[in-house]
Amino acid sequence: MLTLGGSNLQFQNIPEETPPFVTLLTENKDLPRALRAQRTFLAHSLPIPDGFDTYVVFQRDGEVVAALPESARAVVLPDSYDYLADGDILRVAPNRKAIRALYRRNSQHNFLLMTERCNNYCLMCSQPPKQIDDSWIVEEILQVLPLIDRGTPEIGFTGGEPTLLGDDFIRILQACKSWLPDTSVHILSNGRRFADFSFSEKYASIDHPDMMVGIPIYSDISNLHDYVVQADGAFDETIRGILNLKRLRQKVEIRVVLHKQTYERLPQLAEFIARNLLFVDQVVLMGLEMTGFTKANLEDLWIDPYDYRDQLRDAVQHLTAHRMNVSIYNHQLCLLYPELWPFARKSISDWKNEYMPECEGCSKRDECGGFFSSAKLRYSEHIKPFGSSALTAPV
Amino acid sequence: MPIQQERDQVVALTIRFSSSVYNLDTIKKAAYRFTDRCSFDFSREGEDILCRLVPKPNVAITDHPALVAEFKNEVLDQDLRRTIADETAPVRNAILAYAFSKTGLQDDE
Amino acid sequence: MSKFQQVTTYEESLSDGYKLLPFNFTRLDGEDYVVTNQAGESLTLDKPTLYDFAKHKLSWTAPSYNALKSKHFLVDSDSNVAIDLLTLKVRTKFSRVADFTSLHIFVATLRCEHSCPYCQVSRQSDDRQAFDMSPETAEKALAMVFRSPSPAIKIEFQGGESMLNFDLVRQIVERAEEINIVEQRDLQFVIATNLAVVSDDILNYCKDHGILVSTSLDGPADVHNKNRPRPGKDSYERAVAGIQRAREVLGRDRVSALMTTTKLSLDRGRDIIDEYVRQGFSGIFLRPLSPYGFAVKTKSYDAYDVEEWLRFYFDGLDYILDLNRQGLFFVEQYASLILSKMLTPFETGYVDLRSPAGIGIGAIVYNYDGDVYASDESRMLAEMNDKTFKLGNVHSNTWEEIMSSDALLDPLEQSYTGSVPMCSDCAFEPFCGADPVFHHATQGDMVGNKPSSAFCTRNMAIFRRLIKQLRDEPDVRSIYMRWLKA
Repeated sequence: MLTLGGSNLQFQNIPEETPPFVTLLTENKDLPRALRAQRTFLAHSLPIPDGFDTYVVFQRDGEVVAALPESARAVVLPDSYDYLADGDILRVAPNRKAIRALYRRNSQHNFLLMTERCNNYCLMCSQPPKQIDDSWIVEEILQVLPLIDRGTPEIGFTGGEPTLLGDDFIRILQACKSWLPDTSVHILSNGRRFADFSFSEKYASIDHPDMMVGIPIYSDISNLHDYVVQADGAFDETIRGILNLKRLRQKVEIRVVLHKQTYERLPQLAEFIARNLLFVDQVVLMGLEMTGFTKANLEDLWIDPYDYRDQLRDAVQHLTAHRMNVSIYNHQLCLLYPELWPFARKSISDWKNEYMPECEGCSKRDECGGFFSSAKLRYSEHIKPFGSSALTAPV
Repeated sequence: MPIQQERDQVVALTIRFSSSVYNLDTIKKAAYRFTDRCSFDFSREGEDILCRLVPKPNVAITDHPALVAEFKNEVLDQDLRRTIADETAPVRNAILAYAFSKTGLQDDE
Repeated sequence: MSKFQQVTTYEESLSDGYKLLPFNFTRLDGEDYVVTNQAGESLTLDKPTLYDFAKHKLSWTAPSYNALKSKHFLVDSDSNVAIDLLTLKVRTKFSRVADFTSLHIFVATLRCEHSCPYCQVSRQSDDRQAFDMSPETAEKALAMVFRSPSPAIKIEFQGGESMLNFDLVRQIVERAEEINIVEQRDLQFVIATNLAVVSDDILNYCKDHGILVSTSLDGPADVHNKNRPRPGKDSYERAVAGIQRAREVLGRDRVSALMTTTKLSLDRGRDIIDEYVRQGFSGIFLRPLSPYGFAVKTKSYDAYDVEEWLRFYFDGLDYILDLNRQGLFFVEQYASLILSKMLTPFETGYVDLRSPAGIGIGAIVYNYDGDVYASDESRMLAEMNDKTFKLGNVHSNTWEEIMSSDALLDPLEQSYTGSVPMCSDCAFEPFCGADPVFHHATQGDMVGNKPSSAFCTRNMAIFRRLIKQLRDEPDVRSIYMRWLKA
């Protein structure tokens, strides 16, 4: 599990009242001087080139720390940040002596958080909503986008509920298209705002070459979906949102988080999707993350994924019989019937991806997505390594 | 719904329906489904509708009671169909109208 | 942090009751009924549940409530997207109607050297002048083909034996390709042939122009040759050899076979299926005998009744399911079409099981003499001197006159299953079709009296069987689901 941010770090020559700023890291000692004033130099060794706006160094590199120019602005970091590399983008908050890695060029899973506000309140929310004014995030994102390497294959937008930003949501996506014309965009949203057709039209008029919204549906029954997302009327708005997006030819992915409240009617939900929403671009069936609200609602949510392997198989078979694109995220291969292995993806963001002691010696470790770091709280009793004399697949 | 059997050359069964319970269309629609196995005559007697059912030669005499029972069940079913149709006709027509229209489905268009 | 609400909070409005959405019901077996809606979704319910449901007495806690809600048989105060979704599904189901005529059948010649008793076309030998389609007729017919707005156009060559007039086939193919440079439709060609007179030249031509081959294979040698006599008595041997050659040249997926059922076939179902398996086909279409042409003249139609055919069909279907259980992917194609209608929102391309009927607006026939018919069966009726379904002639009528003729519009309108007796309240209606030509031929009435209709009896029996299997036999259901992707 990577430490993406922290506070009370060692800052040098950055007054506390300096406003927070975003900065692009470079390891290029020969960066043209004209650019140095806008960049932060990531120093692992001597010599330290001069002229940079800020320097990031590591405590363990004593001689590098000592070699910093007297007046240079610098942040001295512990080892937990040694993943930082050229091309990464940091937010620096001098008032709390804090930094946060907003974008890592090496990562396959870069997500920009648009807001922590949300109009749902899902039982298993991994990013519990806060009713605060965090509109400052919009400007920050607009500053970050131009710094992102334009060779980045995909960028994600998440929240909270991104569409609550209204016109700023559209603005950000437009900026993303302008600054990163070759980067695919994946947005996570509950879809409800798209029930407003004119909002959907604004979204569609961005005319992005490769943009998709991932929208969760948790049941074929409106009251059961509304219960999971803790919002009356959410099901109807979400469905209407999807219909509007599709009428405007936008890409839509349906996501289903599997837990005790959603597994029983999973086959019926698959049938519902195949009948009513056949035109969506893909369906993703996801394992539960043991973080955020999940901990508070664990008794209502926890089920060993091994125990719903039949429903999962039925659902996948039903969707694929109708030629839909299906993926399974966040499930370990030993918990899935072998015929589902082609659908399992290595989906867990690198910074929160781990394996358990039971995985020792497993021959499929590289193909398997492993666990969320948070899974240490609770995970299946049926984890068994492949290639041992123990079980090789669920029966 | 009393049944009488006429001792004619032709075996016929008369079933009496009260028109306060079933309307004639319902009974006729039910009867239509049996036209491969019987022929029908209808008449009124006061408040009652008389349905005279003549099984065709391809129906064995021993099957006649089952045939009548099936017919009576079909009348019940047909009556239920009428109730459902009455209730759902407006929606049924609206769906067809929308399905064949060029415009979208939402009000804000 | 706010409190989380219990599931009961979201169930409060459910006790307000529900409204019915449009549906039909038909008895399935015993006490069970099948209910369907306009989109063709279905459920089975027992009689008490059905009656409770229809009379608004079903509790939202009852086992069937959620299924009825999910599949849009009821709407309650918790959600109102049902009608939007239903409308979309109905629109999808009917979307092919707007595409209009996609199958255009050209009768290149009536000449044929076979003398099949069931042949629906009189065959004449040798007189090219009288019985071949002329280039002028072909040109006029092609102009009409492209008047249809359908994005996909399939031109099928029939006969007689169309390969006996292959020069005309060439002309039509090349002219169609030329027109299509501008039209840009998805253009496909099929040639129906007995393969007895096929040559390498012809096969290479077919390969160059992507022409699919559809041939007749009635079963193993004895069945096939008895059904399909020709001088030399070697129709089977030629067909099998032809299939092999055609596959080698055109590709294995470009050659298909159709069987025709005769009295002889009825006891040989499994042998016929085995023959198709042996010849490497991945499926078979177990067809009924049609009451047209030579079949009636030679009394082949009276020879068996629907019940006998159903025994043959269900035994064949059971056998095919066994083959699938043994690991062979093999499809019964009629069942597969119906399953598609039951389990997906789409209407299939099969023109003979559609409502409105597929006559004219799904498929159309241009006869060798320029006469235009609403379907192949309409042409066969005409051979028996019944020209009810002749729509006009390419030389003397415009496309508009043909497509808006009473001869076409009357049967389409009258036979539409959504409004005729019995069909309009039948639960199987979304899976079924209108066949005005069949009913006219067998009962003298385009609408048909359905209780005594062989078409109705046959199809209802098949619908019932498939629905029961989907309900009761999970392993059969899995097999059927695999057929959907075929």
